[in-house]
Amino acid sequence: MADDKDVLRDVWFGRIPTCFTLNPDEVTEREAEPYYLLLPRVSYLTLVTDKVKKHFLKVMKAEDVEEMWFEYEGTPLKWHYPIGVLFDFHASNTVLPWNITVHFKNFPDRDLLHCPSTSVVEAHFMSSIKEADALKHKSQVVNDMQKKDHKQLWMGLQNDKFDQFWAINRKLMEYSTEEGGFRYIPFRIYQTMSDRPFFQKLFRPVSPEGNTHTLGDLLNEVFPAAVPNEGVATANLPF
Amino acid sequence: MSLGVLEEETFCHCCHQLLQQSEQLRDGWTWESVQGSQEGYLRKTVLRSAVINSHPVWNQEESSSDSKTHTSCHSWPDQQGQEKEQCVVDEDDGVCVVPEGNSQVLQYEYHILYSSSYSTPVLYFRASTLEGRSLSLEEVWSSVHPNFKTRLLNNPLSTITQQEHPLLGQPFFMLHPCRTHEFMRPVLQSAQDQRGQVNYMLTWLSVVGPLVGLEVPLNYNFKLQNAIQYYTLTSPQT
Repeated sequence: MADDKDVLRDVWFGRIPTCFTLNPDEVTEREAEPYYLLLPRVSYLTLVTDKVKKHFLKVMKAEDVEEMWFEYEGTPLKWHYPIGVLFDFHASNTVLPWNITVHFKNFPDRDLLHCPSTSVVEAHFMSSIKEADALKHKSQVVNDMQKKDHKQLWMGLQNDKFDQFWAINRKLMEYSTEEGGFRYIPFRIYQTMSDRPFFQKLFRPVSPEGNTHTLGDLLNEVFPAAVPNEGVATANLPF
Repeated sequence: MSLGVLEEETFCHCCHQLLQQSEQLRDGWTWESVQGSQEGYLRKTVLRSAVINSHPVWNQEESSSDSKTHTSCHSWPDQQGQEKEQCVVDEDDGVCVVPEGNSQVLQYEYHILYSSSYSTPVLYFRASTLEGRSLSLEEVWSSVHPNFKTRLLNNPLSTITQQEHPLLGQPFFMLHPCRTHEFMRPVLQSAQDQRGQVNYMLTWLSVVGPLVGLEVPLNYNFKLQNAIQYYTLTSPQT
């Protein structure tokens, strides 16, 4: 992975300028100013919005405050998707900053997972890591790690420490050269025009004939509707 | 195929067999397919009486372990696809055990999906009061089987958590599948040693279901032993 270090850094430090505005229906004691933040693409909304919460709580009475949640143009934002996925999914055509509305009541139970504490985000993140490793290495790498390694991975993400995170994540991304890749590639294809949130299938990085699969091969097999011309993926994918 | 691993094809076959038996036993399982695909899930709704508490389970004084939820419920769909319920007496001892304390009737909806990542079935469920209020995660934790609470107490967030239903996109509770192979391997091994045949789904369900109030009638096993169409792990029939 060493060759990719610049790319890894660029992905890690990707930011989305965002403007948080309080939902006008919330009861406030005085007008709430919007709050601006650079959101890390690889993190989770509920992990990086403590300051947003604090900012709006200053103008609200405690009894008017329930669980905080976010909405963009009428759609509740699923905090358990990475921020970059949410932005690309809902707002990639928008003018920056990304305008997110903040709510403190009427939590949409039917749409969103509750997130009462950071430990819930941690559990979700670790569960994703474990599932990915089940696909990549039959869970062998993540199971061989010590508790402190899991903690370091999580703390790296939580505190935005690239080196701390990658010191552990490196092991999760390794594979032996004779295998030529992971057992399966962990991926999800999110789609907008469906109730079904995403597609996920088993996909090997190398074909039975020994050819390395491309993203186009993956789309062709898993989601052919996204590939208008045979074998060629275009830049205008519907997700 | 290594023991404990469930291929998707086998999952579908086991589900099919379970559905056939469920129909005979009027146990209420249905297959819900996802529009425009072959994928789907097993679904069952049950009314059950349970003691719930919104405080963390590990702060509670544990009451007598058999006082909680021994009322078994049988259900079957009516014409609207809704379920009618009939509480029956416990099959083992013929006594209907009424839960003590502040028990209330809750509607549980169970879904069984296939996880291609773990090559296992996964149990999703949600629960609500009869007035339609959804149960919180803490309430669900408080209502699990007493035998399961030790595990919960040690590591609640890696046991049952709220997750997005991968086919419906809605919040459900999920029993984490990452240790399924561990407990299925010995169960399947001993079943194979004894009989050579086993329905993975039925075995799995009878282990994980009762933890969250989903009872599997013993009749299933009886039916399985008497079924003409035996199923073996090594030769799936379609």
